[in-house]
This record gives sequence, structure tokens and C-alpha cells, in this order.
Amino acid sequence: MPLHLKIITPLRTAVEADALSIRLPATAEQLEILPGHTALITAVEPGELSYTTTEHSSQSIFVGGGFLQVEDDNALLVTDTALDADEVDPSSVNAAIEQARNRLRNEQSVLSREEQTRLEAIIAKQLAMLEYKNKRARVPH
Amino acid sequence: MSNLRDIKRRIKSVRNTSQITKAMQMVASAKMRRAQELALRGRTYMSALANVLHHLGESLIMRGGTALMEEREAGRDLIIVVNTDKGLCGALNANLLREVVANAPADAYYLCIGNKLAGSLQRLGREVEGSFSLSDSPTEAELKPIFDIIRKGFDERRYARVRVAYQKFVNVMVQRPQIVKLVPVEPQELLSVAEQGGMPDADDDADFLLEPSPEALLESVQRLYVSSMLVQLVLEGKASEQSARMVAMKSATENAKTLIDSLTLDYNKARQSQITNELLEITTAMKAME
Repeated sequence: MPLHLKIITPLRTAVEADALSIRLPATAEQLEILPGHTALITAVEPGELSYTTTEHSSQSIFVGGGFLQVEDDNALLVTDTALDADEVDPSSVNAAIEQARNRLRNEQSVLSREEQTRLEAIIAKQLAMLEYKNKRARVPH
Repeated sequence: MSNLRDIKRRIKSVRNTSQITKAMQMVASAKMRRAQELALRGRTYMSALANVLHHLGESLIMRGGTALMEEREAGRDLIIVVNTDKGLCGALNANLLREVVANAPADAYYLCIGNKLAGSLQRLGREVEGSFSLSDSPTEAELKPIFDIIRKGFDERRYARVRVAYQKFVNVMVQRPQIVKLVPVEPQELLSVAEQGGMPDADDDADFLLEPSPEALLESVQRLYVSSMLVQLVLEGKASEQSARMVAMKSATENAKTLIDSLTLDYNKARQSQITNELLEITTAMKAME
């Protein structure tokens, strides 16, 4: 029995499909989920999620940080962003990175620790998005 | 003569008003579509998040949960009232105020999102801590100051509970004022949010593997849940606001139309009677000269 994968963002249900396997960036390492996986809840880092459909084709999508819950072959990923490669706009990504870096550089003394962590997380996420886009551009699917 | 001109002037002014209300109706209906979409999509997300948090909470119940789940008896509540910045949206704010007055404790602190009700609450003797106004499609970043106030107040035990009063969007015609609990997060609440969005409630006894650490995971999911919930409730409020405004403006435009019709009738009658009078005068004069 295949896994049932569901990716939900505030804006849409990005993916709802049956999959034979799912690979995604968890906190510690790349995680591969196969049917029959034990019940699991884990934090997910921004990066590429790829899955093999029941027709044995490989699909991939960029996901922002979030949480994955696996239970009874139902994989539910709750994330703030889910984008296909062509939905990633490099110029706006670069602008976001630039803006966050500027704030980190110029307002370092006034920013709270929490705010700094948040900005760093934004940069990491945008960089991951860019990396995903570049990777996809090299490997046509 | 003057009567005729008066009526004409009134017709003109009513027509002008109806043009304005018509335009406002168009604007509201465009905004409504977007706000509605955001609110409805957000429900699925919230329900998924509630589902995850519910399972997490169950796995962790032995460990006593975290601060955001702690039940407190003593202390004052914080009520966040999600109202509107602008008026002209029918009885939306009045209904919400009635709900708040009836069901929220009088000694609570109040925080307004939207400016309309802050004054009314103050007049009723409620302690209003502040009021915020947000854009039409608020993001998490925009709500961060409010979230910070909630967390600080709750951590410092200034607030015992945080609740949100808002207009739940049911459909374009119906918005229901409601008060929901935001903090502490209650398992029962989670279950009902998860079910509302159609998340299947699978095996309750599943023993989840938790990564990285259970505490860190619970903490971050909870934080995300509370802030997303606040965003979602504000989005619902916005959807209700635009719907109510559209309906109010639509009925205003229709009323203006009936008013114009009846004024036109009056105008024609007045004109006819004026003509009749003039004819009468002429014929009387002619009769007198014969």
C-alpha cells in the first residue's frame, strides 16, 4: 500500500498524492519515508522534498520549514511555503536576502536575539529556495 | 415652483449617494472574494496544524505539556476583539460588541484589532490596553507585535487566559460573533478545530517517534499554532467585514433606487398639478374676459 502524501500551506493544499517513497530535509539529516514507516512527528527544514509516485516517476517541490506527521501511511506536512521550481523568482529571493542581511548588519545593536534568529532563518530559507531552483534548472525533469 | 425644484434636488442627491454606495459595493465585493479565499484556505491549514499538535500533545501528556498549555484559575483574562477599522458594514460591530458584553468578563483586559470598538468598550468601562489596525490581508509579521504582547503577558502571569472575539465567516449573508480560546491551548479545542477542517482522527493511541526532542517540537508547534490561529481569526474577521460591507452597500444602493422611484413619482405628480393649475388659471382668465 502506498503512502498518502499531503502538503498543506496556509494558501493551498500544494500536493495530495500517493507516493512510494518520500525524501525530505528533517532537522538532523535527509529523511526517507517508505510505506509502513513508524508513527513520527518531526520538524522539517527548508529544502527540497521529492517523492516517487505510484507510476514510478519522480516529483519534487520546495518546502519551507514546518512539521511532518506520519501515521498509518498518511504523511501530512504542514509548512508555510510550498513552491515548484518555476514559481521561485530569483530576483525577489535575492531582494529578500539582501533586505534581511542589511537589517542584520545595520541594526545589529537594536535587534533582539529573537529577531536576529528570525532574520537568519529567513536568509537560510531563501538560500535553500535559490539552491533548489538552480538544481532544478540543471536537471530538466 | 420651489417644491418642484426641491424634489429635483433631492433626486439628484440621492442618485449621487447611490453612485457612491454602488462603487463601495464593487470594491467590497472584490476585496471580499480575496478575503474569503484566504479565510477558507487557512481553515485547512489550521486543521492540519491542530491535528499534529493534538497528536503531539497526547504523546506528551505524561510530561505535563508546556507553559502555553498550562491551565490557570486565578488572574484576569485578555480578550482580543477583532473588529473593523471602518464603518458602513451593517450591524457587524454592534453584534460583536453585544456578544462581548454578554459573554466576556467585565474585569478582563481588552485589546482591539480594528479601531471601531475601542471607544465603545472604553465607554462601557472596560480596560482597553490598545488598538491595532492591520492591512486587508494581514500576515504573520504584521501580527507579531500582538503575538508578543500575548506571550509576554501570559509568561508574566498578567493574563490567565487569552480569548479572541471575532465574527466567524459562515457565508456572505451570515457572520456569527464568537469568542474562542487562544491560550492556553486545550486538547478539546484542538480536536474540534481538526475535525472542522476534515482532518481524519486516526488511531489515538499511536506512539509517535518525536524528532528532534519532544519538548523542542511541542514548543515550536505550539508557538506556530497560536500565531497561525491568530492570523486565521483575523482573516475570518476580514472576510466577514467585507461580506457585511458588500451586503450593506448593496441594500443601500437598492434603497436609494426605491427612493428615487418614489421621488420621481412625486416630482411628476407635482409637475402635473402645476400644469393643471396653470391651465386652470388661463381658462379662468379667458372665461372672465368673455
